[in-house]
Amino acid sequence: MDQPAGARIVSEDGRRLAVTLGAVARGDASAMADLYTRTSAKLFGICLHILGSEAEAEETLQETYVLVWRKAAAFDAGKASAIAWLAVLARNKSIDRLRRRGPAAADLDAADRIPDGRPSALDLIEQEQEGRRLAACLEGLEERAGRSIRSAFLEGAAYPELAEREGVPLGTMKSWIRRGLLRLRECLER
Amino acid sequence: MSDDLDILAGEYALGLLEGEARDAAERRLAADPDFADRVARWSGRFSPMLEAIEPAPPPPALWPRIEAAIAESSQASASFETSAGGNVHQLRRRIAMWRGYSVAATALAASLALFLAIRPDTAPAPVSPPAAAPLVAMMSAEGSAARLVATFDPDRRSLVIIPASGLDHVPGRGHQLWLIPADGKPRSMGMVEPGAPRRMAVPPAMLDEMEAEVTLALSVEPAGGSPTGLPTGPVVATGKLHRT
Repeated sequence: MDQPAGARIVSEDGRRLAVTLGAVARGDASAMADLYTRTSAKLFGICLHILGSEAEAEETLQETYVLVWRKAAAFDAGKASAIAWLAVLARNKSIDRLRRRGPAAADLDAADRIPDGRPSALDLIEQEQEGRRLAACLEGLEERAGRSIRSAFLEGAAYPELAEREGVPLGTMKSWIRRGLLRLRECLER
Repeated sequence: MSDDLDILAGEYALGLLEGEARDAAERRLAADPDFADRVARWSGRFSPMLEAIEPAPPPPALWPRIEAAIAESSQASASFETSAGGNVHQLRRRIAMWRGYSVAATALAASLALFLAIRPDTAPAPVSPPAAAPLVAMMSAEGSAARLVATFDPDRRSLVIIPASGLDHVPGRGHQLWLIPADGKPRSMGMVEPGAPRRMAVPPAMLDEMEAEVTLALSVEPAGGSPTGLPTGPVVATGKLHRT
């Protein structure tokens, strides 16, 4: 069965999580505990992956759930999946903290965490359906644009660092990314 | 042009904007719902990249810290909303509900998080439709250091035991778990190892007994269990199963 462009498939698990998040928005403490039980491993994995430090990942996870408690009312089940919303919150908090550490530290950690020979993130995300679509669309971009978009999202690399990695001027990297974003959007909305 | 706006939203969602550009985007995010929508759509488009990351259970000690931080956050927002003329009664009730729940929530979250991670040894396949809610017992005893959390998982018809602390390993001795229903006759659930969470299948005949207010007890017995089929040694922890 073809899904209309832009439609999301919501699993039963996803639906139940959205309901739980709705209860958290109404100040339901037991829903908050339930949410933590069901999502903390995924979110902690994200914090740990980005920060590489248990101690920092723990603090960041704490900040993330406090934010969830305060901002749960902003979650719109019609616009996003609950787990994606939560995962992005954890990612944003982690990237913020990574940047507060300082640029040199971020570079070293990034290099350590992505050794050669391991499957790339692109290989792994193909396992999930939405991941497969994103992977396919990223593949369709100019290679350096796709790679840079992925690095920006997963490692928090900003324009100057991306330009340096690829050995191009800042202006060139900016046009690659901007063109890449438009093509990505067009591909995903097909 | 909406393309330019969409690009800006995408750059913001990726974290590529810095300094003044970033500050301006943040102000826009707060003031312009259309821009906020665009940023949210981009986050949704990128989020599958996070699917690939390996999950990692956080340390159990983290949850109580998060609860405390949240309770503090509720209090802080309560005083703010009170002074702004908010509904004081509702907010106070909310904080009280949080505090009242936190002990049970700690045990429940810790035990559930662990049982989700434990590989079942002999648990039968779930029967559909799933039956009642899980039951939890916090087990301890006066004068004993033993602390356990037992969770009855009705879907998988098993009892998950988390020995949180205080079970010494004594050569030649073991800890045996008993279920004591309304008729007062202890039924053996098996042996519990110090330090190792276990999932124990509940025999079909005992499933009917697994209900709220039933007592679980842990006694010290010879290594292979009581030879008599009833507890012979000291009871080091007990607790009643409660609905969650």
